Amino acid sequence: MEIQLKLYGSSKILSDKDTLNIQLPNNSNIEKVRDILTKIISEKHLKSNLENLPKTAAFFSERDEVVNDNYKLKDKEFISIIPPIGGG
Amino acid sequence: MNLHTVLVKIEEEKISSEKAKTFIASEKNGAESIFIGRVRNENSGKKVTAVTYDAHDQAVIKSFQSICNEAKNKFDKNAKIFLEHAKGYAPVGEISILIAVGSGHRDEAFKICRYILEEVKHQSPIWKKEHYADGKEEWLPGHSLRPKKKI
Repeated sequence: MEIQLKLYGSSKILSDKDTLNIQLPNNSNIEKVRDILTKIISEKHLKSNLENLPKTAAFFSERDEVVNDNYKLKDKEFISIIPPIGGG
Repeated sequence: MNLHTVLVKIEEEKISSEKAKTFIASEKNGAESIFIGRVRNENSGKKVTAVTYDAHDQAVIKSFQSICNEAKNKFDKNAKIFLEHAKGYAPVGEISILIAVGSGHRDEAFKICRYILEEVKHQSPIWKKEHYADGKEEWLPGHSLRPKKKI
């Protein structure tokens, strides 16, 4: 299955586009997305910028609500990655 | 209408303190408190030229409304609140956030203003990328919204 990850803040370094398509095994959850992100960051040599991102980011569903690590993803689901925030 | 919450595309429009003052003005209020945050020219010894603000628009507006309503319930249900935050590229000196509160008394006006500022920093999905004089740029660290694991 595949999901679309909308990128915000520091995670925008992961792609030139606003979203990143991620291939996942069927019935994957958010925890799996964190694992895949760790791999992508390593493959793209972005550890110096994004090493902590997989463990510190939150994820929003399409309803803009934070989802837990055991949240089951659906094929073609659109979710947002929310790196640590700091406005003001 | 006692609440105004907007994310301002700063390259197209400015955040205006005059607009804020007009919004919160009321004969019922004996106090007005206004906080203005601006992009400053230095951070951790680095010369800053500008900040780019990124935001999850819908979630930011939801959080702004929720924070302002919490503040009203906590301190003064009749308070008038104006909250605007910048989105996009903001050079040094630009207003990044403006919170204006009109309330019956000074204590509530100050408290609401402070409460909103701190909660925006901890709840609203907004990110800052600093641009430096040497041409480098950096996303700043922040507060994680990852849910805590239940023990």
